[in-house]
Amino acid sequence: MNPRRALGRLMMAIAETPAIGVAIACMLLVASLGLAYHNEGQARADKIRDVTVQSRILAASLAGPLAFNDQTAIHEYIDALRASPEFNAVGAYDENGRLVDGFSRAGEPLPQHNQVDRPIVQGDELIVTGTVAQNGATLGSVYVGAATERWSRRATRYLGIAIVIVMACLLVAALTASYASVSAANRRLQAEIAGREEAEEALRQAQKMEAMGQLTGGVAHDFNNLLMVASSGMELLDRTTDPVRRERLKDGIRQAIERGAKLTQQLLTFARRSPLSPEVVEVDQRIRALQDLLERSLREDVKVEFEFANGLWPIEVDPSQFDVAILNIAINARDAMPEGGRIKIAAHNYPAGGDTARDMVRVSIRDSGGGIAPELMEKVFEPFFTTKSVGSGTGLGLSQVYGFMRSSGGLVKIESVVRRGTTVFLMFTRSSQTLPRPNLMTDRLRHAEHDATVLVAEDDEHVAELVAEMLRELGYKSKRGATAAETLRLLEETGPFDLVLSDMIMPGKINGLELAQEVVRREPGMPVVLMTGYSEAAASAAAEGFPLLVKPYTIEAMGEVLGHALQQ
Amino acid sequence: MAHIRLSAALLALLAAAGGGPARGAQPIEYAVKASYLYKFAPFVQWPSTAFETPTAPLSICIAGSDPFGPALAEAVRGQRVNGHPIMVRHVEAVRPGLACQILFVGGEDAGQTLQAVAHEPVLTVTDHSGAGGMIQFVMVAGRVRFSINQAAAQNSGIAISSKLLGLAVSVNR
Repeated sequence: MNPRRALGRLMMAIAETPAIGVAIACMLLVASLGLAYHNEGQARADKIRDVTVQSRILAASLAGPLAFNDQTAIHEYIDALRASPEFNAVGAYDENGRLVDGFSRAGEPLPQHNQVDRPIVQGDELIVTGTVAQNGATLGSVYVGAATERWSRRATRYLGIAIVIVMACLLVAALTASYASVSAANRRLQAEIAGREEAEEALRQAQKMEAMGQLTGGVAHDFNNLLMVASSGMELLDRTTDPVRRERLKDGIRQAIERGAKLTQQLLTFARRSPLSPEVVEVDQRIRALQDLLERSLREDVKVEFEFANGLWPIEVDPSQFDVAILNIAINARDAMPEGGRIKIAAHNYPAGGDTARDMVRVSIRDSGGGIAPELMEKVFEPFFTTKSVGSGTGLGLSQVYGFMRSSGGLVKIESVVRRGTTVFLMFTRSSQTLPRPNLMTDRLRHAEHDATVLVAEDDEHVAELVAEMLRELGYKSKRGATAAETLRLLEETGPFDLVLSDMIMPGKINGLELAQEVVRREPGMPVVLMTGYSEAAASAAAEGFPLLVKPYTIEAMGEVLGHALQQ
Repeated sequence: MAHIRLSAALLALLAAAGGGPARGAQPIEYAVKASYLYKFAPFVQWPSTAFETPTAPLSICIAGSDPFGPALAEAVRGQRVNGHPIMVRHVEAVRPGLACQILFVGGEDAGQTLQAVAHEPVLTVTDHSGAGGMIQFVMVAGRVRFSINQAAAQNSGIAISSKLLGLAVSVNR
């Protein structure tokens, strides 16, 4: 186990028991006892020193009087000490140790014979004896009995401190106990939150699965129709030679395929799996470019008006998703106005302040339709929620709008008054980037002879054939490996190649991304382009810095990406 | 027996001094004086020239007749002052270069006798007031006391402790 985590766990375990508090309290007690003992010893030593000094002063004063037997002087010196209640007994002794003079308060009388010794404590009395000497000649001795502080007085003195310390210990114990319980409760809460988050995640996943189930049912029907159009169209194409009819059939097939692709794209956007490729967009120009498409999608009795403020800030969104979102809202508006009406699309700058923290651009789409009932307002963004009759709506329109706005970092808001109309507001964050210079479209698709060979790694037979066909159309030669291992072998044995184009999801031990890394490791500088339809895979490819073709892609997109990769 | 011997000694002293100064003196008086005589030593500071070595004996010299008898020698046995053992000596005549630190001269005219050691670091002690010397024993209310001639001590380079000065009956500065 990680030692730091082990330490953290230990600290948590300690924090959750009051043991640390008890330990601190005990340490406090022991420390204060030790301090008291030390103080007591210090005070005793101080007292002994004081009394010893007093006895020495007395001895020095008594040197002369004792030597020359001056009783008056001896008596005066000893009497001087009687004034202090500190001294219980004071005695002066001659050189033979016999008592000369002295006094003793209540208690034992002075000893008749004095013997100089170290200071001793007898009960409450400290006895200090000292020699009276002058220039090395012993002239006598003194005896001083001093009162030490009574045990009861000392106890009273310590009691106050003891109470404070005991209170401190109790406080520490109480605090740690409460901290321990709070910390344990906090841990339980954390665990509960984690559990709840897991449950919520599981619920979300379940809802997603349910949605996918409904989606499969709903979309399968649409797809079946499209496939029907395509397959019957192909069949009829084989049976007819009339060029006009053939052209019409091909148109029908192409439209069916486009609708299928669009439907898939919408589903992926809803699932937030489609890789968004944001570009800097000018709102007004982008919407004006939609005018044709809008008029074709809407009925003749629905009029579209634009109102754009001057100097609109640029925004950064995926342009095709932006188009789809505008179209979806417009189609909803059309359906809300069965008897015809007006759709007004407006855009304004919405500076920071008020209810937004950043500069935004607000696009509003207003219809004059029937409005949305207040009780339905909450549901309009739910996937598969539709007020339209079965078969005429998928319920994915506003879901796409919602998913798109979420992934673009924007906001969507609906205001509706029944029988007056609905306004959908799209709020986009202002982009700090400037508009890119438009590319020259003529450069993008060039049927030039590249004389370049592309090594294709693709496990699906049909896709591989199609890719080979598209490459041939673009003027490239190609070779295909069905697995990553085979591709690497081909790279070694049958080169040289100018570019490797690999699917990302492939059977075998090595996936497309690892294959790409291996190719670059073996042949640095070899351009590698990856293809995928999955946004997760796309994100990891982008993170590794490989150019990417998102399936399904057009021949133009392929030409552009490959051309770009080869130029570098 | 001791009484008779002491009386004999006193008679001898009287004969030597040519007078009767010790008449009526109690034997206890000289025992006290004997103890005082050597107890002066700790309270007195001699110049360093007074001793040959730091452990050289401190001599208490008794000039002429000895009124103390063996009591003095008994009392000083084993006593030391500042590392100097105390020794009692008897000298017949007072003359310069006796090598005494304390010189006791009995009799009332001791002052003349002491002229011989006037410029030597010798603490001179006499038995009567007005008899000269640095310290004179006097009797006050039946007790043995002493007066001090500090000027004389200073002239000889001897310093006397203030503790001793404080106990003196009088001090001649």
